[in-house]
Amino acid sequence: MNLQTWQFRFTALGGSCEIRICTERKEDAMAQTEAAISEIDRIEKKFSRYREDSFISRINQGAGQGEWFECDAETCWLLDYADTLYTHSDGLFDITSGVLRRAWNFREARLPNADAIAALLPLIGWRQVEREGARVRLPQSGMEIDLGGFGKEYATDNAANLLSRAGIRHGYVNLGGDIHVMGPQPDGQPWLIGIQNPRQKGEIIATIPLTQGGLATSGDYEKFFEIDDQRYCHVLHPRTGYPVSHWRSISVMAPLTIAAGSYSTIAMLKERQAPAFLEQTGLDFLAIDHTGNMLRPG
Amino acid sequence: MSASPTPRRLGNAILAAAMTLPCLHNAQADSPPEQGQISYRYLDYRESQPDADRISVKAHALALSAPLNESWSLDASLTTDTVSGASPAWWTKNLNTMHDERNAGDITLTHYLPHDTVGVNASLSRENDYESRSLSLSGSHSSDDKNITWHYGVGGSADHITSMGLDEDKQVINFLLGVTRVVSTKDIIQANLTYSSGHGYYSDPYKLADNRPRNRHQTALLTRWNHHLEELGHTIHLNYRYYRDDWGVQAHTLGAEYVVPLNEGWTLTPSLRLHTQGKADFYVDEVNFPSADTYHSQDQRLSALGALTLGIKLSKQISDLWSGDVKLERYEQRGSWYLGGDGSPDLAAFRATFLQFGLTRKF
Repeated sequence: MNLQTWQFRFTALGGSCEIRICTERKEDAMAQTEAAISEIDRIEKKFSRYREDSFISRINQGAGQGEWFECDAETCWLLDYADTLYTHSDGLFDITSGVLRRAWNFREARLPNADAIAALLPLIGWRQVEREGARVRLPQSGMEIDLGGFGKEYATDNAANLLSRAGIRHGYVNLGGDIHVMGPQPDGQPWLIGIQNPRQKGEIIATIPLTQGGLATSGDYEKFFEIDDQRYCHVLHPRTGYPVSHWRSISVMAPLTIAAGSYSTIAMLKERQAPAFLEQTGLDFLAIDHTGNMLRPG
Repeated sequence: MSASPTPRRLGNAILAAAMTLPCLHNAQADSPPEQGQISYRYLDYRESQPDADRISVKAHALALSAPLNESWSLDASLTTDTVSGASPAWWTKNLNTMHDERNAGDITLTHYLPHDTVGVNASLSRENDYESRSLSLSGSHSSDDKNITWHYGVGGSADHITSMGLDEDKQVINFLLGVTRVVSTKDIIQANLTYSSGHGYYSDPYKLADNRPRNRHQTALLTRWNHHLEELGHTIHLNYRYYRDDWGVQAHTLGAEYVVPLNEGWTLTPSLRLHTQGKADFYVDEVNFPSADTYHSQDQRLSALGALTLGIKLSKQISDLWSGDVKLERYEQRGSWYLGGDGSPDLAAFRATFLQFGLTRKF
């Protein structure tokens, strides 16, 4: 077999994406990539809160109106997963906390009014979401759920799984920095995955060799503004309503990208307790604190 | 110290939840095949012993499998075969020539539900002096993650035998219970237990002095393990079958296939099968004309024996719609190869060659 590596770049889920796979013929690589991209597209259409016609948007539009929404097996699984994250992060990972975006606008450097934030806090709380079997509804008008906290990672795993099932043994899927490696390079060498410098866009601060599994990064550099040298990033604490500030970025490696992403987000929200939290998962990680110090396990 | 459980357990709970990701477990509803297919097979089977050719069979078979709608599918097949040659009437001696033609057909209707399939099958087989009809009901039930599937079935057959001026019947009822478990993306294991209970005419009217019980209860346990070798892209199929019946026959069969995908749609599958069986209680080794009311048989198939089958199959995916395969198997059976003792003496070695050619088109 004479495997060649093919690379495809595209935009999806609001970010730049890349699929790199090894096949003998370019046509096969293109056909497989096309199938993987249409799976990513399917997930985006179904779950993105940015699309008014997505199932999630319909649930959000029905908030406080008493109407139940019947979920299919995939949506039930995602809501169950959200429940697990909430329960096992002491409520830090809360898919109802997206309402805080109404106060925080990262396009301009302006601190929101404290009253505006306080007014939003009662709308946050996963335990308020009503579920009966496969049905779900939001009890209060103004509440919303947002699967964006792990949707990109979920799409990464799904695309990688589809490629693996189609017989791809070498390659990876990278959706805006969330990576799932199906298998090593054809010669058995790991792929070298670059971790972005959180203070220098486009610069790599570390390289992580990966032969299989997921890698995801949460950081303070995607959406933020600064006032008086104080950075306000988009990772918002669900109980205070304010951004966390202890870590510039945390990358986690786990068998699945969705798990890696969940751990890195929870670790960001745990601030000072993040190292203890990560150490005890037994997973490999790379964290960069607010002074630029790099931390790895052990 | 926090009042919550230790972070190690917290962390692992999230990973454990992630590992139930639906796409990893192929969590789709059972559904009929998306495409229909029609296939033709030609089989050439020849038996021999060192001093003579025995039976040969030439068979043509046509099979159709078609989805009817979202939740139903239909399978049907027609087979016609010609049997000719010679069959021993007295151990492996006194070969009598014979010729027969057989026509058979069967039809299966399957209904697909989210976690279940239910099928009903009817079949009919006819030759000059033998007619067989059967009806069976089978089904499967899968776990939510589709990693475990239970199989069950119940069936019955009614045969009518008119050879040599006979007017005899035989009825058999059979049961199946099985389970298939997907252990990982690389391993699938399966176990099937079958039991059948028959009543009626079991003797062979073409043999001299053959008198068998009118009841037979058979039990078989089949286990399979398919293992995919990810690095090589090859697959190993291993199976073991244990069989016993109340005629005293016990048998062990061990089989292995090694599936090697080659370039350009070719697949090569060598196979090996080892078989050993003990004789029936009433199999007789030597001339000893018994009284008419005791059971006795000198049928080689009921003797203590060992057997080896070597096979090779070459298949090719010709295009998206067409595929073809050729399979050659060589079987040899000897009394002295019996693994549980000396084996039945004084029988000629028995050999058979099996050549099959098949062509399938999807539509």
